[in-house]
Amino acid sequence: MTTSQTGTPGSPPLPYSGLTVVEWAGDPAGEGTGRLLVELGADVIKIEPPQGSPTRRIGPFAHDVVSADTSLTFWYYNFGKRSVVSDGSESDQALLHRLLVGADVLLITLRPREIAAAGLDYSELLTTHPQLIILSVTAFGLDGPWADYRTCDLVGLAAGGPLASCGYDDHSIPPIRPGGNQGYHTATSFAHCGLLLALLDRQRTGAGQLVDVSMHESLAVSGELANPYWFYPKVLVHRQTCRHAQPVPTQPALFRCADDRWVYFALILADRKPWDALVAWMESLGVAADLTDTAYDDLAHRQQNFQHIQELIECLFLLQDATTAYHEGQRRGLPIGPVNAPEDVLDDEHLQARNFFTTVAFDSDLSALVPTSPYRFSSFQTVAPTRAPRLGEHTGHVPGAEEADR
Amino acid sequence: MDARHPSLVQRQPRARRGPLSGIRVADFCWMGVGSVATRMLADFGAEVIKIESRTRLDMPRRLPLYKNDSRSFGAEDPDPDPDKGGLFNNYSRNKLGVTINMRSVEGRELAERLIAQSSVVTENFAPGVMAGWNLTYERLRALCPEVIYAHMSGFGQNGPHHSYRSYGPVVQAVSGLSFISGLPDREPSGWGLSYMDNQAAYYNSAALLMAIMHRNATGKGTEIDTSAVEVGVSLLGPDLLDVTVNARPTRRPGFPPGNRLEHPQAAPHGVYPCAGEDRWVAVAVFDDTDWHRLTEAIGNPAWTTDPRFASGSSRFAHADALDAHLAEWTRQRSPHEVMTLLQDNGVCAGAVQDARDLNEVDPQLAHRGTFFELDHPVIGPARFEGTPVAFSRVEQDNWRSAPLLGEDNSYVFSDILGLSTNEVADLAAAGVI
Repeated sequence: MTTSQTGTPGSPPLPYSGLTVVEWAGDPAGEGTGRLLVELGADVIKIEPPQGSPTRRIGPFAHDVVSADTSLTFWYYNFGKRSVVSDGSESDQALLHRLLVGADVLLITLRPREIAAAGLDYSELLTTHPQLIILSVTAFGLDGPWADYRTCDLVGLAAGGPLASCGYDDHSIPPIRPGGNQGYHTATSFAHCGLLLALLDRQRTGAGQLVDVSMHESLAVSGELANPYWFYPKVLVHRQTCRHAQPVPTQPALFRCADDRWVYFALILADRKPWDALVAWMESLGVAADLTDTAYDDLAHRQQNFQHIQELIECLFLLQDATTAYHEGQRRGLPIGPVNAPEDVLDDEHLQARNFFTTVAFDSDLSALVPTSPYRFSSFQTVAPTRAPRLGEHTGHVPGAEEADR
Repeated sequence: MDARHPSLVQRQPRARRGPLSGIRVADFCWMGVGSVATRMLADFGAEVIKIESRTRLDMPRRLPLYKNDSRSFGAEDPDPDPDKGGLFNNYSRNKLGVTINMRSVEGRELAERLIAQSSVVTENFAPGVMAGWNLTYERLRALCPEVIYAHMSGFGQNGPHHSYRSYGPVVQAVSGLSFISGLPDREPSGWGLSYMDNQAAYYNSAALLMAIMHRNATGKGTEIDTSAVEVGVSLLGPDLLDVTVNARPTRRPGFPPGNRLEHPQAAPHGVYPCAGEDRWVAVAVFDDTDWHRLTEAIGNPAWTTDPRFASGSSRFAHADALDAHLAEWTRQRSPHEVMTLLQDNGVCAGAVQDARDLNEVDPQLAHRGTFFELDHPVIGPARFEGTPVAFSRVEQDNWRSAPLLGEDNSYVFSDILGLSTNEVADLAAAGVI
């Protein structure tokens, strides 16, 4: 094992301090997994082909300059890693074998056909390196009729189920992909947990193993209510605009505010406390109308007049901007959320007070805010993000390889 | 011979298998995030003891997801059978269940005794509830040195909004995930599920596993504060860097792009109608190789030779016309027919599968054994969502469906805490358990 580069000397060890990960990954699911490991102290050595990881060619690009070292997609998934490129004097396989001598984990995203084409054999690798954990993160898993099928974020979300729940009330519009690569991110979450279970097993037994993570399966178990509705009452849920897909239609939950921004608020009619809080709020702004009538104390009456109530709630929100509605509603105990754009969260006073963002220097003249790790432990500090490596930046400077040479 | 129902005999707690065997968790979690987070610990060998209130039932026990009884969320039973809820079964399999009245002094004493016999404590109440029972990190450390104490909340344990109320859709709105999801120039479509209940749960599972691994190595316990909103912001993806590095706001015309893909420019890239009611298929073509595979696979119809579709950038520029042509072809076929035909020709495509497809059509999930079954004394046999990871050594230990309300009171209070049968009976009579 090599010593982690990250963490300051004398600071408490992190969960992945001393853990060396060789990453052979070319998509956000695999690269995102490596990023999480960096945040908790691992040394992640990324093997790249001479032209770089495929994600280096995906925009947007810093200041719109297209190059292997300016992809924001690559940056986002590769904070704090080291990049090694075969210098041509040896094959990729030879480089991999050299690096694996000092490694704890091989994080790899090849499908079965690609594994064979690369001349790799995972069981052989595990025989040669009995303590190695091979963390395979693929579209559909390493076996089964779809194992060699291709995926991407859209196709993953479609086949895995979540997409069917997302879109608009108008079903002439197709299901709409939620943004930000969440299909890949779901696979990453299970890859992280799967690796941890294997590391815990290795702590007890000393043995490595193959951890075979399927993005398709990760999404198939992440549809929230869709599967339980099928397991139990055997009904399907149907997509609705920005609110839970349900077996039967429910009232809208997005409301437009005075500043043309949206808030999310779903009124649960059956609960008395939020009802009273809502009516008191409406009264204070003069839009409670008849909702103060005692007839509304009766749930059945509220249910019968839900449409009328919704219209008055629309008025309530049109009277104020989204920020005011958020804080005033929350002050009154109502679970309201403003539909923030990413640029809005940077100015959020709560996130600022928690020091959630930090500045990363990407270049001598380029610094920008990025989120820190969302994990907070009292016994140790997570690693502050540092920029992604330039292509081949650490070729020839890899401790694992040096050890192997000795 | 035991005269009880055979399924009850098999429900007796037994030694667990897996990398977490021997670890006892005093689990105060409820609702979605916490229950899903500790489920993974229970699946892999930890003795997770779910502590419940008889008077404030866990929401998944109340939600009307009942076998062979279809009703909407709003049609909640005013006096529900707490052991009938399917969502609770789904979230709390492999856990033990006890009831403790935390509003009573005796109940809180009992909880402290249980914590002293555990090494991990988990909770996802509103911040301040545990402290109100004097269950602070300091108190827990006095009861159980080097304890791991995990708090899972919407906004975290401190900061000006720490007491704000949230659940999945609110977290998704606040963190920016809803905004970046939808067609351009109209309201967002956002999420039709509590995506962030799942993701926050998975992050919390990982936090607990990291803390346990770290304690195994160093002997040190820890307190954990995970905020679902911060997890959500960290999941925004490269769009966030476009904002911070390029100062390019996402409140701009044309954003979000719906099912179109700008980075990299891909076309066709979308969700296309299929035969049947509300049936769809996703197709993604990234380069010329993909395009030629697609045109071959669909039999080279005349429109594919349209010069507007000759290059990637031109296909992207004319995506509306391209989508209309492709939709005419997909409309005559089933989603799975399109998926299989295109994938067998090397084109990235996927049927938009609903829960019935996942459970009854999908050959990959069937092959991998993603879903599994366990019997339940009230519900009967039921399906469960498994762990989407195949291990060569580690085994998921599915020993029992979710606990009946208070099912393990006798085992936990007598066998683990050493109370006599009479003492347990007295506590029950006094409403403490």
